[in-house]
Amino acid sequence: MTTAVISGFGAVSAFGVGSAQLFDGLASARSAVGQIRSFDASHFPTRVAGEVDVAAIERHWIMPHLGIINTDTRVLDEFESIGAWRDRKIVFGLLAAMEAWRNARCGIAEQAAGLVMALGLEQAFLEDFAPFFNDKGIDWQAEQAVRSTGFRYRSDVDLAAQLISRLLDLTGPTIVNASACAAGGLAIAQAASLIERGTASIILCGGADSMVNPLGIGGMTRLGAPSPRCELDACRPFDSRRDGLVIGEGAAMFVVESEQRALQRGVKPLARVLGYGSSQDAYRVTAPRPDGAAARTAMQCALKRAQLDGSAVDYINAHGTGTPLNDVAEARAIRELFGAHADRLPVSSIKGAIGHLMAASGAIELAACVMSLQQNLLPGTAHHQQKDPHCAINVIGEQPREEKVDVILSNSFGFGGQNVSVILGRYQ
Amino acid sequence: MRSAQRVAIKGWAWRTPLGSSIENVTRKLLAGERAVRTNTRFDAASYLCTVASSIKEDPAVVRQRRFLRRMGLFALEVAREALCHSGLLVGDRVGLFFGYGGLRAHWGDMMPAFEHQQSDGNGAWERGMNLLHPYWMLQHLSNNAHALAAEELRVRGEGATFAGANAGAQALAAAIRALEAGAIDTALVVGYDSFIEPETLVDLAARGMLTTQTENSVTAPYDRTAQGFVPGEAAASVVLQRVGSSDGRDLAYLQAADGADGEAAAPRLSTITNLLANLTQGDTIIDGAGWAQPAQDNAERIALAKFAGDDTMLCCTMSALGQLGAAAPLVQAIALTEQLCLQMLAPIAGLQHAAAGLLRPLTSATPINTRSALAISMGTPGLAGAIRIDVA
Repeated sequence: MTTAVISGFGAVSAFGVGSAQLFDGLASARSAVGQIRSFDASHFPTRVAGEVDVAAIERHWIMPHLGIINTDTRVLDEFESIGAWRDRKIVFGLLAAMEAWRNARCGIAEQAAGLVMALGLEQAFLEDFAPFFNDKGIDWQAEQAVRSTGFRYRSDVDLAAQLISRLLDLTGPTIVNASACAAGGLAIAQAASLIERGTASIILCGGADSMVNPLGIGGMTRLGAPSPRCELDACRPFDSRRDGLVIGEGAAMFVVESEQRALQRGVKPLARVLGYGSSQDAYRVTAPRPDGAAARTAMQCALKRAQLDGSAVDYINAHGTGTPLNDVAEARAIRELFGAHADRLPVSSIKGAIGHLMAASGAIELAACVMSLQQNLLPGTAHHQQKDPHCAINVIGEQPREEKVDVILSNSFGFGGQNVSVILGRYQ
Repeated sequence: MRSAQRVAIKGWAWRTPLGSSIENVTRKLLAGERAVRTNTRFDAASYLCTVASSIKEDPAVVRQRRFLRRMGLFALEVAREALCHSGLLVGDRVGLFFGYGGLRAHWGDMMPAFEHQQSDGNGAWERGMNLLHPYWMLQHLSNNAHALAAEELRVRGEGATFAGANAGAQALAAAIRALEAGAIDTALVVGYDSFIEPETLVDLAARGMLTTQTENSVTAPYDRTAQGFVPGEAAASVVLQRVGSSDGRDLAYLQAADGADGEAAAPRLSTITNLLANLTQGDTIIDGAGWAQPAQDNAERIALAKFAGDDTMLCCTMSALGQLGAAAPLVQAIALTEQLCLQMLAPIAGLQHAAAGLLRPLTSATPINTRSALAISMGTPGLAGAIRIDVA
């Protein structure tokens, strides 16, 4: 079977635009969670987020981050004309994709690439609705009279994929994964699957999301998922005092290709995709399975695909949301699967530092894993200070740990009980 | 690229604008019946498009209605029925793959939160966000139907939810890959979608894609006077297994492929022919995408003829049911299997004056002796899905 490798990646997070910014932030044990600034959240119960440091995204902010691209910028003009930058995840996905494309030294010969993208909810635009409200709702007749050519009310669910595909002129298959918080991990898993089975030889994949907007923050707040404390340490994964998540935003994209293809074009892979597995909790839409059985199944499937024993895993980048139920279920799954090895198996979550990127969370966490393989540094767990006896695993504290590891497992356990585990290996 | 794997269909169910019974809907398709009516799902009198092909019945009242809107409930129903129809057992080796076109968000649900908002977004919480239902996020969660189906049916194997206008084809292709890889033994695949939402109709009409004709004057796809498609809605589910079981319950054999080329509107001809090239070639008939726009219909016929031959018979399930978005390939799979088994192909519903061009658009039910069929579905931007059905 063909081996899938990662030959380049890019990231956008609350630490900034670029994978180097993500690494520097994690390496310095900082937290990028702060007060929401991109909209007036002063009266929302949730007022903190892992927000990318830009208020209103405009072309002059995008272009320096985009880098030099040998492409027709009329595509950018077109998307700008329809107001695409209003949906922040579209821009984040674009910037991460371009960094990955550059870093993997992709060019015209790689335009046959497919695109597998994890994306979150369509964004609703209050400014579009507001002028057309009457006492019965939206006055659609009035709306049609003034309709402009741009998209209104909501962005298309696959708009980021459209933009990236058109800008890079990709001709391979496009898949949009909408599996909530598991989508990012599933996107990389699906890309690897397509490579391994020979359906494609190179794929641009990853995820982008932003719920840092009134409806996203408002909806999550009403659901009760974010921490009720509006403090900068609101998300405390695996800490006994944890009380909820912090919403983040950003993107991570990867170039995944066959090892043979990468080597033939003179690119040294950054990591191998050794295995992946997914499962469903089949439990409740509102809570993870308490015994962690399905989460354990996802990890088992990934190990089986990688043909590895659990003892071969050197580090786990946990889903670690900082919610009371998720962390204890994940810890149980790890403990039961890895047994005594879990005593020394380091586990950390980066959600305390950058927030929960939802559909992109699995992707940004895999980006952190690639960095760990390259830089021999395991990220810490921001704001983890008091161990929870119900989370009987070896959680790395706030400080990152210098350690050379060869095999990393990354978990993403989504709302509704959709689970995925991906295993990366050092490329030697 | 290599050929798509062939898998066996073991069970199915659907909710269509012509009904929920496989036999009755097939009979109506063969009779050339159309579901298009004046849109009564909401007051659309002032819209450019005033017609729709909508599902007549309401979803059953179930406990999951707290978390699901109408189409999600239909998705849950067909998943349940398809699994039951297959007679297969659930568990860790059953995967679950959903495709939906997009939220087609139910803004009506959000009016309490929106009606007092201002354009600058200031004071958004007090102006109504604090009135959002606590389950609003779950009701609009992209994978909510998937999660609830997994919970109710105890499906615990691999799976994912796909989005976009060809999400049904994406879900079928992913399920087939998982079966081929041996990760699961059975795949439950669901596609559901509805274009019959206010903002979706406004958006599609502004792009000139919808018919502006009335219930009695709507022209059919591939007609020389075609003026746009009828918005439709459906939910459909199939149960798949690898070929080779000896239980005698194979309803048909399926291949699926999905593709995209980034075009703003319809996919390029080369995208369609490349998709079809993934499927087994041979004696066949074609179920077209039928956007009911003369230039696009003609381009589609050119692409299909390149693959299947100039005189291949052309039918169009969407002519009877309206455009079904992500549900289209699953509905086509069921409809074509039934027609292949009956050895009778449905006409293009409402087709009176077929536009000149390649392929042979059917104006009446036609006896056939082939055992295989191809189906194409398309969506924007540049999205396409293709399936091949073979019956024993």
